[in-house]
Amino acid sequence: MENLKEILEALIFISVEPLTVEKMKEVLTEVPETDIAQTIQALVTTYETSGGAIRIIQTAGGYVFSTKPEHDPYVRRLLQIERKKKLSGQALETLSAVAYHQPVTQAEISAIRSVDSTYSLHTLLENKLIKIVGRKEAPGRPLLYRTTEKFLAYFGLNAVEDLPSEEELKKLMQEENA
Amino acid sequence: MLEDIQPTPADDGYLVKLQIFEGPLDLLLFLIKKKKIDIHDIPIAVITREYLDYLGRKERINLDREAEFLLMAALLIYIKSQILLPREQPIEPDVDPRKELVDRLVDYQKIKAVCSVLREKEDEMSQIWKRTALTAPLPEEDLDLIEVSLFDLAESFFTLMKRKQNENQRVIKGKEVSMAEKMDEIVAVLKERSFLDFLEYLDAQETIEEALIAFFCLLELIKARLVVAIQEQLFHTIKVWLRKDAPTPAKVDD
Repeated sequence: MENLKEILEALIFISVEPLTVEKMKEVLTEVPETDIAQTIQALVTTYETSGGAIRIIQTAGGYVFSTKPEHDPYVRRLLQIERKKKLSGQALETLSAVAYHQPVTQAEISAIRSVDSTYSLHTLLENKLIKIVGRKEAPGRPLLYRTTEKFLAYFGLNAVEDLPSEEELKKLMQEENA
Repeated sequence: MLEDIQPTPADDGYLVKLQIFEGPLDLLLFLIKKKKIDIHDIPIAVITREYLDYLGRKERINLDREAEFLLMAALLIYIKSQILLPREQPIEPDVDPRKELVDRLVDYQKIKAVCSVLREKEDEMSQIWKRTALTAPLPEEDLDLIEVSLFDLAESFFTLMKRKQNENQRVIKGKEVSMAEKMDEIVAVLKERSFLDFLEYLDAQETIEEALIAFFCLLELIKARLVVAIQEQLFHTIKVWLRKDAPTPAKVDD
């Protein structure tokens, strides 16, 4: 398809959520997947090298238009946002524990942190950074939690596997201890 | 990471705002780092003293978590007592009473490392704006719908029953209603009117038994995800809706 690049550009532009390759395939059934993947890459590069303010980033497994960090102050002025809200220390710690041990129960998270995490989990649920995925086959059938797509998007990750591995963590800890 | 700032005496006249310790493990890790202790060979006596010191001064400690800090203190003292107890044979390394604590600390240390990675990413992401950011805050209205929990339902039901009790009913045994019949009835009503008012519907039942059955049917339908109970706003009436994605009913048995 000749104008595939423009079509993909249009699709990403109007998407409310990061547009995945799967979604593109659904729309463009007549185009082979490799063509889509290649064209997307070309499109991303075009924006990257154009020198403009807009680029296409990959997040939560999909593609989305974004601004560059240097324009953040002006965007915030326009939107009248003083500062973006950040997660609290408690919430971040709970979220990290969920991300690394999922699917996981409240009791397990609380044990890992040695701190009752009921409230933090509740806040994270409300913010849709984690979700309930079922119950554990254990006494009391406690709820099991997992991180969400929004979690990935929030931290600019494509998949949970993008988080540092055990080895990388060990390296990180050594650096910190050094 | 936390800097090691020597605690200033309380009467020093000025206060430095410091990062507080979110939990007991947080504090322990800090002390271990401060004393340059090998995490796998913790001198329990030293660390316990330091730990209790912090606890006693209630310094940089999240006081909402005091109980959890105390629990850790108890654990430390317990471990020390285990080590002190005279034994016939020396403690084998794999039954080191400290082992469980060390495992927990190592695990927690990992989580802390993940935290700092995620915090960096959060900072990065907070500086870029996606097109999706503009559309995301819109569907607020949806969020105001509260899916009602079992307890809310039960509570309204019991309030209703109490009200009914005072009506001094005389029960005449007559027709018996089965769960299956009632459930079909509810689904039929929902298909016709798209929603029904939870309390109104139960109130309209002829007898308490029938209301009770209707209540159980509703619970059963909610559980089977055929219907959904929603409260538009706090203190508003609870409405029951047929789920749009509901599978065909009538397969629900009692």
